[in-house]
Amino acid sequence: MLLTPQSIGWKLKSTLYFITGAIASFLALPIFFIVALSFGSSQWLIFPPPHWTTKWYERFFDNPQWIEAALTSLQVALMTSIIATAIALPTSFALVRGKFAGRDYLYSLFTLPMIVPVVIIAVATYSMFLSLGLTGTLVAFVISHVIVALPFAMISIINSLKLFDKSIENAAVICGASRLEAIFKVTFPVIKPGIFAGALFAFLVSWDEVVISVMMASPELQTLPVKMWSTLRQDLTPVIAVASTLLIFISIFIMLVANILRKRSL
Amino acid sequence: MSLLLSSRKWKDLSLLFPICLFLGIFFLIPLVILLIKSVTVPSFGLGNFYELLATSTYIKILGNTFLVATLVTVFAVLLGFPLAWCITLFPKGWGRFLLNVVLLSMWTSLLARTYSWLVLLQSSGVLNKILMGIGLIDQPLELVHNLSGVIIGMTYIMIPFVVLPLQASMSTIDPMVLQAASICGASARSVFFKIFIPLCKPGIFSGALMVFVMSLGYYVTPALLGGVSNMMLPEFIVQQIQNFLNWGVASASASILIAVTLVIFYIYLKVQSDSPTSSNKGS
Repeated sequence: MLLTPQSIGWKLKSTLYFITGAIASFLALPIFFIVALSFGSSQWLIFPPPHWTTKWYERFFDNPQWIEAALTSLQVALMTSIIATAIALPTSFALVRGKFAGRDYLYSLFTLPMIVPVVIIAVATYSMFLSLGLTGTLVAFVISHVIVALPFAMISIINSLKLFDKSIENAAVICGASRLEAIFKVTFPVIKPGIFAGALFAFLVSWDEVVISVMMASPELQTLPVKMWSTLRQDLTPVIAVASTLLIFISIFIMLVANILRKRSL
Repeated sequence: MSLLLSSRKWKDLSLLFPICLFLGIFFLIPLVILLIKSVTVPSFGLGNFYELLATSTYIKILGNTFLVATLVTVFAVLLGFPLAWCITLFPKGWGRFLLNVVLLSMWTSLLARTYSWLVLLQSSGVLNKILMGIGLIDQPLELVHNLSGVIIGMTYIMIPFVVLPLQASMSTIDPMVLQAASICGASARSVFFKIFIPLCKPGIFSGALMVFVMSLGYYVTPALLGGVSNMMLPEFIVQQIQNFLNWGVASASASILIAVTLVIFYIYLKVQSDSPTSSNKGS
């Protein structure tokens, strides 16, 4: 009744299909819309576009500012992903395997950067880097991005570690391996998809981060979302649609890989 | 023996050293300094808070922030519920497809999606053209740079955050319970309202709390889709710092935002009693 497909009438079923179809289009259409617009010829983003063109792509790739911003984004996201995963890995082991009290509280504490509004983290770290004279540097970008990316990496690793049967590792130890050896040769290979998925999520968080980056950026150093943000505030040029399309495709690609990895780790 | 145990404990705790060091220096200390600034800049005392609460613009911003968060939460739950239901109802096929759409939307660049709505909602945009084309309106509606723009854009972004927890709680409901009610003579309507909805309540509640608290602190979408007259708290904080270098007032409003967020998060944790770190899942 109401929870199995056989138990609901065709009337309710078709209504549900219709409503959820409408909501799903509401969720998906803006994404396809922006991709279509990036190939439209109209400067004023008229839809459907009068002609199809790739001139906005040429404009994007001919502009060193956009290219530089994209490369900075890539650099920041890669470094963020590596550092966040490196910190999250030992943390996950301690939280899942440790026998000390208050693990749940620590977990909540470490996921706090996910809960505290990003704008607060942005303002607080901006104030710190301002007094250290580090705003507008790569270091400031990476450190502030790691703060928000950490919980995502940690949760992914914790989930795969919870599913790993520790007795397999113990068996290796009984057979004569040292604990560290067992962890590196038995546990890591098994939870690798989870670690990798965590790294990808951290990458994605950094790649898409706007608020903190806007605060950290200087005219000389900015990420792709910052460049989009400052351009957006002036006009709605289709070049932003091109940048959006690139962001969308990279996000989708990474999400697909992360999902495949997560499924493999289950 | 006890010495052995405690050395094991130290080893576990030493694994936490990197994260404690990192979050301590770069997250907690700056956060605490920000909180302290609210009572020390420009001079010691509660002056900033008095100033804030005595200004009618600030009260308006605070009210607007809560209004937007409330409306977005209501709409996101209303639109998220059928999605979560279908995903539970048809785990393969249609439900699978819906889940993928939700995940796609959630992980697609926030800025790209907001830009898309900016273009869709503008007065010469697609939505206005369609509405005029089918003769519903004669003149383009002002859909963006006002409250409606913020609500549409934010609801759109928050729907996935309702669907996922709600679906998780729906999938734990035993269909037999609903079956039993139906066998005992309850109509479909009363099974829905008296059994199904109450059983979904924990999921609805945690999803709604999450969306509410996220909406309170949202910056990007309101800043781009909203207008000057309906500014929200996060935008106000950034504006005070970037335009007026007014750290005292900014820190005071940040403290208020943090306090509200943490209180709601605490309630959320109380509602969600499942332990996140232990491996045996309690139901």
